[in-house]
Amino acid sequence: MLLKEQGTLQTPVGVFSVKHEASAAEPEQAKFYKQLIPLSMPGEGEQFAFKVDLDKCTACKACVSACHSLNGLDDHETWRDVGTIHGVDLAGASYTQTVTTACHHCADPACLNGCPVLAYEKDEVTGIVRHLDDQCIGCQYCALKCPYDVPKYSKSLGIVRKCDMCHSRLAEGEAPACVQACPTEAISINIVNTEAVAEACFLPTAPEPSYTLPTTQYVTERSIPENTQAADLYALKPEHGHFPLVLMLVLTQLSVGLYGYALFASGELLVTQLKMAGFIFMTIGLAASTSHLGRPLGAWRAFLGLKRSWLSREILSFGIFSLAAAIYTSGDFLEIIPEPVVTLSGVLTFTLGMVGVFTSVMIYHDTRRAYWKFPISTLKFFGTTLALSSAGFVAFCAFNGKASVSATYLMLGSMLTKLAVEAFMITSYQDSEMTPRRKTAMLLIHPLRSQTISRFALSLVALLAAGFLLTSPANYAVASFAFVCLVSSELIERSLFFKAVAAPKMPGGVY
Amino acid sequence: MSLLNIAKDQMRLRAHDGVLTDRLVQDPASHGLGRLPKTVKPDSTVNSICGFCGTGCSLKVHLKEGEAVNLSAQTSYPVNIGMACPKGWESLTPLSAKERATAPLLRNEFGELEEVSWEKAMDSFVQKFKLTMNEHGRGAAAFLSTGQIVAEEMAFLGALAKLGMGILHGDGNTRQCMATAVVAYKQSFGFDAPPFSYKDFEESDVLIFVGANPCIAHPIMWQRVMLNKRNPEIIVVDPRKTETAMAVSTHLPIAPKSDLTLFYGLAARLIELGLIDRTFIEEHTNGFEEFESFLQAHSIDRASALSGIDPAELDRIARLIGSGKRVSFWWTMGVNQSYEGTRLAQALINLALMTGNIGKPGTGANSITGQCNAMGSRQFSFTTSLPALRDFESAEDRQEVAEILNIPVERFPTQNSYAYNEIIDAIDRGEIKALWMVATNAGHSWINQKRFRDIRKKLDFFVVQDMYGNTDTAQLADLVLPAAGWGEKDGIFINSERRIGVTRRVRKAPGQALSDFNIFRLIAHHWGCADLFSEWTSPEAVFGILARLSKGRPCDFTAVTGYAFLDANGGVQWPLPEGQTDFESERRLFEDGHFYHADGRARFLFEEPRAMPEPPDSEYPFILLTGRGTSSQWHTQTRTGKSDVLQKLYPKSPYIEINPSDAERLQIRSEQMLQVASRRGRVAVKAVILASLQPGQVFMPMHYPETNMLTLDTFDPHSKEPSYKACAVNITLS
Repeated sequence: MLLKEQGTLQTPVGVFSVKHEASAAEPEQAKFYKQLIPLSMPGEGEQFAFKVDLDKCTACKACVSACHSLNGLDDHETWRDVGTIHGVDLAGASYTQTVTTACHHCADPACLNGCPVLAYEKDEVTGIVRHLDDQCIGCQYCALKCPYDVPKYSKSLGIVRKCDMCHSRLAEGEAPACVQACPTEAISINIVNTEAVAEACFLPTAPEPSYTLPTTQYVTERSIPENTQAADLYALKPEHGHFPLVLMLVLTQLSVGLYGYALFASGELLVTQLKMAGFIFMTIGLAASTSHLGRPLGAWRAFLGLKRSWLSREILSFGIFSLAAAIYTSGDFLEIIPEPVVTLSGVLTFTLGMVGVFTSVMIYHDTRRAYWKFPISTLKFFGTTLALSSAGFVAFCAFNGKASVSATYLMLGSMLTKLAVEAFMITSYQDSEMTPRRKTAMLLIHPLRSQTISRFALSLVALLAAGFLLTSPANYAVASFAFVCLVSSELIERSLFFKAVAAPKMPGGVY
Repeated sequence: MSLLNIAKDQMRLRAHDGVLTDRLVQDPASHGLGRLPKTVKPDSTVNSICGFCGTGCSLKVHLKEGEAVNLSAQTSYPVNIGMACPKGWESLTPLSAKERATAPLLRNEFGELEEVSWEKAMDSFVQKFKLTMNEHGRGAAAFLSTGQIVAEEMAFLGALAKLGMGILHGDGNTRQCMATAVVAYKQSFGFDAPPFSYKDFEESDVLIFVGANPCIAHPIMWQRVMLNKRNPEIIVVDPRKTETAMAVSTHLPIAPKSDLTLFYGLAARLIELGLIDRTFIEEHTNGFEEFESFLQAHSIDRASALSGIDPAELDRIARLIGSGKRVSFWWTMGVNQSYEGTRLAQALINLALMTGNIGKPGTGANSITGQCNAMGSRQFSFTTSLPALRDFESAEDRQEVAEILNIPVERFPTQNSYAYNEIIDAIDRGEIKALWMVATNAGHSWINQKRFRDIRKKLDFFVVQDMYGNTDTAQLADLVLPAAGWGEKDGIFINSERRIGVTRRVRKAPGQALSDFNIFRLIAHHWGCADLFSEWTSPEAVFGILARLSKGRPCDFTAVTGYAFLDANGGVQWPLPEGQTDFESERRLFEDGHFYHADGRARFLFEEPRAMPEPPDSEYPFILLTGRGTSSQWHTQTRTGKSDVLQKLYPKSPYIEINPSDAERLQIRSEQMLQVASRRGRVAVKAVILASLQPGQVFMPMHYPETNMLTLDTFDPHSKEPSYKACAVNITLS
């Protein structure tokens, strides 16, 4: 009886009759959304855009899950988000508003401008910013470039994906999933003039629109109090650490510096050692950068974005740098390479390396994140180049029984400058406003506290060792200890560079 | 894809298509649906009522070879007309969670839950319950049921436990949400009869929401409010400026628990102004004179003094209620979960009755239900009443039910069951020794949770029947029975507006999990009482029994012949007695002014307001309010906590909302961890500073287990519903 019972319970699904419906001329839902999408295509200087009526949006969040379900996204993947903003008006009344947000299909999309392989296209007619999934190499630079946190990386697919305004639905006269699913008709699609977008006011509390010219229009008849803030303004969530990029940046910078020393140093053995070391660090760094890519096989296409993308430029610079470095380094072993070629390739190696470091700076500067601004990134990246290569040079000199007082001073000077600036930045935690600078400082002293302490402690140890070297020259044990400490310290510094950045985003809700 | 193809694929300069692009490519519309990704294209669809809240939305489940692959909202259903909230959209996801219970779990001699066969689980179940009841009597065992399972299962559980096994006590988790509305309606109207249809949201001129936050708790009902074309005035009565309060023109941020005085004040003012419907009162009600004299001690000024609302504003609202416009009152947990909830609900019913705002379009004193099948539970659970609200203590009622069920009347208990809180007390006293809990999570949701966890130790045997093997409560169990969830079984739910709808089996249950219905059949067999239930062969067969039980009762739906009838009619509101063939889909009750008391009249019921049981003092200076957090969270989160998408839509860690002035005074900054303590417990939660609360109030959502560590176990004396929404706490920096 029991077994029989069990058996009958596990009969396949489908004992009840399944309702089949004749396929209708148009989807049943069409009657609700017809007036929420434009009847015509955009004209010259116009494009499609989301319009969100804030007064109708009352926090049900159905748009997020409908988009997820109707677009067949991965379990954890959402292309729409809902956040909250709140404030208090002059009369003391509280103001709370939910904000639904997806890709803003910007007039000047940062994702598109940053993509090294042109995996983004802005549709000439609709203005929809589309991501070409098969073109994407998974570098995730668009995710850093977009100030609204729109492109989302999928580890399993190795690419980013994002909202395409359901372009294929719109093409058939169907509304996007979110528009179809909003119970209060708060989301619609309309046609906007792309120039007017530049002048229109975007959503208060959202990142400054002049950077990418987002086209979404947030409309409300209520007045939004001036002190309104995003609900997640005070949330302290470290960003992704991007370890491969940490390795890549630190080691390529070290490598470039070592080639610099190789170019100017004397002593054949020392020069060869420097070149060899430079080559090894470069190789590890560049290999790490490749491992960062979700689909590295397509990386050869990186030249496509040269016109606009600093990442393309970086890939190109370091690509040629590695070739020149190979010639320069192998010149010491392969006698068939003529001396002038070796010398020329040496100059080229160092020059392109420095250009490469500059492009690295620009990659981050170009995201417009406060913590990655030009002066800070320049100091950090070129500081690393100088400090680490000097420490390396000192260590190699010590191996060769030589002391290099000037390199030791260079290392001390560059490190002290870096540390002073970093320490100064942490003092921003006392700022009265929750600015990106303050958020970075808060991240450094709260969730990232132990890494911050390690960063300073390791640097201090390295500096003390360097100080010791000034008094007792040519101690290779101490010199290499200082070098290892410093490399570790710089790796932590670079990891904090990624983790402690205040990434701009639309207002969030999950405090 | 071969390596060569991958390489070739990657050699293209521009790749506008390919394997990755294909993943999201959509196929043209079919099955009345719009375009859908190829990967989840259905070959058929079936409609099924959502298993979360009491709105009762219909979801169109997309099937591929008979199994659900996706779903969307059903366009033509009169409840949700094409929309669903995020929980509905994500209904299928929690079914695939890795935490699903896939085999019975029995606590072994090492105190660990161990997988066992159904055979062994049943032996243990039957043996332990029989032993307990043989030694200590029928009153030594109890069951706790739920508004989350279908009505057929609920009725089966009650019938099996009470008539088959002879268990005396059983109640449901509806005690925690709807009991107040049940008692209020029963006493006022003569039957538990929410009078409205959702159409009334659209047809009202003045909507008054009391202790309700439909924008996030019932978003699809709010959709209906938004469809109101009469330019209505909407008033929200709530201490907090909730999402709904934010969306309307008038918010009355009353002091917590000043509500009863407030509504008596409004009633007194209506009488003063003469804005009452004397004819309706005289023809259709009892007890108005007594009410009128009771109200002499009440006034707008008294209401204003206690609630903190300006008397002029209260006067305006009284005039609005008495204006002759269509006025409707809507309440949910802010009213029900109160130590004086029954009288509070009746204060709203009184306002509707005295102004004649009942039985007409856009009117009514309307209770919005919590759970998907709270209404089914209220009428058919066999717990504290016999089906269709008959009385265990009435010999006539017992005889009637016995005949319909063809079960000997001697098997019927002649005394009533303890309510949930009384069952808990009886366990504490050592009177109840074996407890069987089905699809509810008392280890999280019961008020003053620590006490529940403590007294659990006094149970000799504790059985939990649930979808998941690791709920807060399942972890405390001696035996866990793995149950199929929503979507893995058939049956009916009855929604807030009395609409009966079918929910369908669209997925296979994992492992050895069985539908609750089949677990009950199995138990009946092992107990040796299967003969009594020979007619209870399938959910639809039991539906037929329920229809018979409804015959001649106010909730008569004998015209409904089966699931196909429900499907074809977009669900059916009761009543629909046999022979009634021509009917509107959306109907309200009492259009003829006839109520269910023997004399056909409604009653005015009232009681002097009482002070809050635990007012704030110098030691515990804050009032802790509790409630729904977001639209993406459901109760104790056993299901909503298992969807990645829903998780993104609510705060992960427990938090407390506090007014900026209090935060400043205590030097609390946003995101800081705080210690919140009541006389019953202490928890650590994150600070969220919000001006939507008044100074002196703090708010914690009910979805995190921390909240009920603090709440005070007091109850409404009439409905025995826990008063979740007011206790005193203090806050310290941790």
